[in-house]
Amino acid sequence: MEFLSNLTWLIAAGEAHGKGEGGKQAAHALEMSGLMFYVGLVALIIFGAAAVAKSGLNSKFFTKPLTKLFEQLYVFIQGLAIGTIGPHGRKYMSILFSLWLVVFVSNVIALFFPTSPTADLSFNLALAFIAVGYVQWEGIRANGVWGHFSHFAGPKLPIYLLPITLMIFIIEIISEVMKNVSLSLRLYGNIEGGHRAADAMNVLGQDLLIPFGAFLLPIKLLTCVVQALIFCLLFAVYLSLVTHHDHEEGHDHESHGEAAPAH
Amino acid sequence: MLEQAPLALGLAAFGCAIGLGLIGFGAMNGMARQPEAISKLQIAMLIALAFVELVFLLTVFIGVPGLR
Repeated sequence: MEFLSNLTWLIAAGEAHGKGEGGKQAAHALEMSGLMFYVGLVALIIFGAAAVAKSGLNSKFFTKPLTKLFEQLYVFIQGLAIGTIGPHGRKYMSILFSLWLVVFVSNVIALFFPTSPTADLSFNLALAFIAVGYVQWEGIRANGVWGHFSHFAGPKLPIYLLPITLMIFIIEIISEVMKNVSLSLRLYGNIEGGHRAADAMNVLGQDLLIPFGAFLLPIKLLTCVVQALIFCLLFAVYLSLVTHHDHEEGHDHESHGEAAPAH
Repeated sequence: MLEQAPLALGLAAFGCAIGLGLIGFGAMNGMARQPEAISKLQIAMLIALAFVELVFLLTVFIGVPGLR
């Protein structure tokens, strides 16, 4: 019982903090302890579900429904990775699937709790840093340091077009940095925007005692799924951009053969 | 600036909705013509949707003072 009251206190503290500082606009902003509480909740759900799913593993067949669910999810993300990155996309499944799980569970938590980790820009920025940093690392591993950075400079141009190469290099570096911003802002804007829209519609129906915001739940659920998918998809696309020089020949042919039966 | 934000947001949402509709239109056309290519079309469509949506979200971040 005491734990429960502590729990509600944490949620309330997370909400009250935002109201105290930024007035009405930052009602959903969390302080650090509140954010950590939600991150811990997400980790607990993911690890708990994964542990239950792992206990259903058998040498012949999967005994638990949760195991089958995880298998289907894995196969779905794998089809997406192979379709986007190519046949060597199976190598990146671990990080793709874990990021998908984190983003999806955090998004779904937003449907039941007043806020969620992905409704906080700092958490999303950390996720984006992980994704883009991993992309850089993979690019360096696949093409070498020089190859990876000359990849930013665009096609090979004659020496008298050096200024243009320099310009392309700078623009590509900026766009690489902006990948962090776009990944995190997209997730944050969608989840937080859903919250704000629900709040605004609740105010709309206040006099009639109808919670109009609750009718947004199906759309919010759709947003949760699609945003988790898009995060992974863009991550896979960025990975494919830096690693597609690997197996240049036969790559197209193989990916057609692999991607078709996945769906 | 504060008073003009809703109108600007409406305009941004207008353009964003047109863009999203065009993407959906193109993807639906392609899916109806070639149902076997649906998985590839869906992935390309989602990427395009994400990019169009981002423009509107950036507008929101610049236009709504409380979010900056």
